[in-house]
Amino acid sequence: MMLANYIGAIALIVIGFYAMIVKHDIIKIVIGMGITDYGLNLLIVSIGFNEGGTAPIFTFGELTSGMYFVDPVPQALTLTSIVIGACVTAMALALCVRLYKEYGTLDSRRIRRLHG
Amino acid sequence: MEFLIKIVYILIFPGLLFSSVFGLWLAGIDRKVVARMQRRVGPPVLQPTYDFFKLLGKETIVPSCAARHTFLIAPYVGLISLVVTALFIPIGGLQAFGGMADMVVVLYLITIPSLAMIFGGSASASPFAGVGVSRSMVAIMAYELPLILVLLSIGRAAGGTYVTFSLERVTLYQQMFGSFLFDWRLIPAALAMLLVIPCEVGAHPFDVGEAETEICEGPLVEYSGAPLAVFKLSHAIKMFIMTALFCALFLGGISTGMLWLDVVIALALCSVVTLICMTLLHAITARLKVEQVFKFFWTVVSGLALVSLILVWFVD
Amino acid sequence: MTYEIFKHFPVLAIMCYFVGAFIVTLAGKRRMLRNVVAGAVMLISLSLLLSLVVPVMVDGQIITYWMGNWEPVEGYAIGIAIEVDALSLFFGLLVAIAVALAGFYSFRYITQDDANGPFFTLFLMLSGGVMGIVLSGDLFNIYVMLEVMTFAAVGLTAFRSWNPNAREAAFKYLVVGSIGSTCVLLGTALVYAQCHTLNLAQISAMLPGNMNPTMVFAFAMLFTGFGCKSFMFPFQPIAADAHGAAPSSVSVLISGVFTKTGVYGIIRVSYFLFRTMGLTSMQTLLVFIGCVSMFVCVTMALNQHDFKRLLAFHSISQIGYILTALGLCSALGIAGGLYHAINHTLFKGLLFLTAGAVLYATGTTYLEKLGGLARKMPQTAALFMVGAFSISGIPPFNGFASKWMIYQATYEKAAETGSIGYALVTVVCVVTSVLTLASFIKVGQSVFFGQLPLEYENVKETPLSMRIPMWIMAALCFLTGLFPDLMVEYLLGPATAAVLDTARYIDAAMGAGYAEIVANSTAYLAEPVLVFAGTWDPVSWLLLFVIVMCAVTLVSLAGRRSRGALTLADDAKHATFFGGEEAEFSHVASGDLFWGFKHNLRGYLNFMSRAHSGITNDYVVWGVCAMAVITVYCFIFM
Repeated sequence: MMLANYIGAIALIVIGFYAMIVKHDIIKIVIGMGITDYGLNLLIVSIGFNEGGTAPIFTFGELTSGMYFVDPVPQALTLTSIVIGACVTAMALALCVRLYKEYGTLDSRRIRRLHG
Repeated sequence: MEFLIKIVYILIFPGLLFSSVFGLWLAGIDRKVVARMQRRVGPPVLQPTYDFFKLLGKETIVPSCAARHTFLIAPYVGLISLVVTALFIPIGGLQAFGGMADMVVVLYLITIPSLAMIFGGSASASPFAGVGVSRSMVAIMAYELPLILVLLSIGRAAGGTYVTFSLERVTLYQQMFGSFLFDWRLIPAALAMLLVIPCEVGAHPFDVGEAETEICEGPLVEYSGAPLAVFKLSHAIKMFIMTALFCALFLGGISTGMLWLDVVIALALCSVVTLICMTLLHAITARLKVEQVFKFFWTVVSGLALVSLILVWFVD
Repeated sequence: MTYEIFKHFPVLAIMCYFVGAFIVTLAGKRRMLRNVVAGAVMLISLSLLLSLVVPVMVDGQIITYWMGNWEPVEGYAIGIAIEVDALSLFFGLLVAIAVALAGFYSFRYITQDDANGPFFTLFLMLSGGVMGIVLSGDLFNIYVMLEVMTFAAVGLTAFRSWNPNAREAAFKYLVVGSIGSTCVLLGTALVYAQCHTLNLAQISAMLPGNMNPTMVFAFAMLFTGFGCKSFMFPFQPIAADAHGAAPSSVSVLISGVFTKTGVYGIIRVSYFLFRTMGLTSMQTLLVFIGCVSMFVCVTMALNQHDFKRLLAFHSISQIGYILTALGLCSALGIAGGLYHAINHTLFKGLLFLTAGAVLYATGTTYLEKLGGLARKMPQTAALFMVGAFSISGIPPFNGFASKWMIYQATYEKAAETGSIGYALVTVVCVVTSVLTLASFIKVGQSVFFGQLPLEYENVKETPLSMRIPMWIMAALCFLTGLFPDLMVEYLLGPATAAVLDTARYIDAAMGAGYAEIVANSTAYLAEPVLVFAGTWDPVSWLLLFVIVMCAVTLVSLAGRRSRGALTLADDAKHATFFGGEEAEFSHVASGDLFWGFKHNLRGYLNFMSRAHSGITNDYVVWGVCAMAVITVYCFIFM
């Protein structure tokens, strides 16, 4: 069952990179970045998953060493990563808006004043 | 006493006075012999010395659009750093200040005078100087590659099983095992070094930067009076330093047991090397174009030096 | 002496920047208040780190601080650690110094910009992010700080509303930079999957010797990710764009500090976490990448027509030196690389600040438009020359001292391994050095010397508040080059030892003896001893120089009578050039220079110029290819 998650995560990352490489529309490039990010998040959450584990919410009284629960750290990491991903997307889209105003196009092949 | 000897080293013997006099003498010899090879009578041997003193007495004109400080300071910085470099090169086993600078440091120290000339010329704002600066720099780029290859070959050969950059070690090794010029593995490197010397000094046929007939001496075009005299002196001292470096790297094994005799022999060898690599080349060649100089050094000369490096690494 | 009090300093140094960033926002448009707050924050952080020099560098302590007092339980690190050893402190100091100088420079510099309120917020965020990376002892924390840093840097790159290229540069930077971030996060996740911890010390106790395919992949990812942040070879075009478009004081941070976090990351990952640096294949990889970065970027720099873009390429070229030196895995190599890292921050900072001064005074950095500024801005010209001599390794400035160590390290490595390849690495280093010199002569000739265009007749020297930070940097360039022995003894020696001695770092975090219980192999260089193949004594050189200078001065004073007069007149007679023709405007600059060189290498130069096409997708392809190649390489050879 986790295998599907891992395959899905890798597939998302690859699709993201594919979009970033092949698509010349800068909005699509941003979408590619986003997809890569989702793939990564999926991967991290899957890492912390334990088959049959319970939610890692305990009061001190019930916590014993033999407890079997889902690893909470990757979930925290994922949250952080999602927040960062959202910021990156927002920033990139803001730049896209400005680029469109300045260059009059969203085609990455024509946004190349800096070259050589 | 120790201190006095150091001062004598700095000011008199390999230092300021001697390197100036000997350099000017070498320049004189060079001119005289070239003239004789071209069936001219030629100037007296002391002509560069006379020129130097005559220039000192002339008015120094600074172009009004020049960057004055750089323009006036540059020649002196070049001269002083050259004299200091002379102190680090062993002459016939005599090293005035040993253990302070190795081969790679000397490689960098001898670029300072060229740089001084480049910045001085650049500061004069003359378009001729601009072209000269560009060409001088290409010449530096050209000879630096073969020169480092030569130095690395020597460093490996003198290092025994390891490597060394130290000039003393190089001299010691040669005194024990014979001069590197007679080591067949290093003969290509010696040839490369002989070709590097005129390029570094700015002599025919590699004097692209100072081509008198094309760009009126390039970086020196606006100089007159004392600063020009200092540049001419630097040029002469550079001839001495480069030939002395050649002698230290390839002919360091000549040892009679008497220091003063060794030094005299080394100086004689310097003159011979000057005659071979500068005078002879000057007399029989015409100036190359700048792109030809670059190509020549990065292919032929570097190739020679690389052959030596490979031989030194793989043949015992 | 107790070190209890110092425990809190590192975290305070980081938090200062972040707290300062928000307080600065509150100051709004009150410029004086904002400058005071920002200045105070930068100075406090700097002094906090300086006070750590004695305990960490001299007494050899390692300072560990557990956030929220979550100390390790039963050998498992739960909380987030701030751990400062000599290596971290070395990079921390470098960051704090560069940040302080660039910050003080910006007070005046950014008054030209319209929206200068958010500037210091972003600036301090960037500083805090960088500081967080180098002082942190937690892998995920490093990732978060990396993102904070990248984010602030992208914001600052796009900051100049009147620079038409700024948004484009920022966008490319964000897109290609996201590859690096993705790689780091992926690597971190995989490491966590294997070790179930994010603490650097604990990972480095568990990982080495236990490499499985997942860990090889994680290593490749982390290596590529940090490589992207250091802008090593296939990532160099975005560096050029970003440095060129950002305000100069930010370029100082991006080139001098930001790239160093990548270098720091590579050291931590390969010397420390995975300890793969002992493998010949790994050394070859890093040295190869270093050499390629070095050479490609220096030739690209020779092609440039913009002052700051040129500096940006040089920046990566110097990073190439650092990576090459670090790839040697010998004590001298590591010391030389670290030395070059601090030197690079200083001289490249200085050069970017002079570029900023030129921009401030004239409004352009385009080499073809400038010229003859040395007459109007003599101090800036002098400062530029100090920076140019330092970066091209002219003795006695600092660039030479570190390059000289790198040359020796590479050649000694050649002797040790008996491979002539490392000898060629030395040759590449020297050739790069002379090409660097060439391109700075080009800048000198195009910007500061030559003829002054008419429109710059009224240009003035930059204000004092901008010149002081530049002079401090110039002085540091000179001093760090003059005393290599002291540098080695107090900074580089401890840092080098820290790179090689993992066990102490682990024990300091996890409790004594932990490294021995868990770790499989602790040290791979017995004693970090620096073996020099040559000698260089800058102080004596300087003394000799001064003595000869006095002698020459005396001689020239004695012969004053017989010497010709010096004419400095500004009249028509002296306005003409040698041939006596009218001094019409004919400035030989920029693209006109070094024809003989460019002609011979035209095939290569044109190819490289076309390859840096400016299309975002191409750069992404390069990045992804680098990732793939490094991964495949690691799988084959590890």
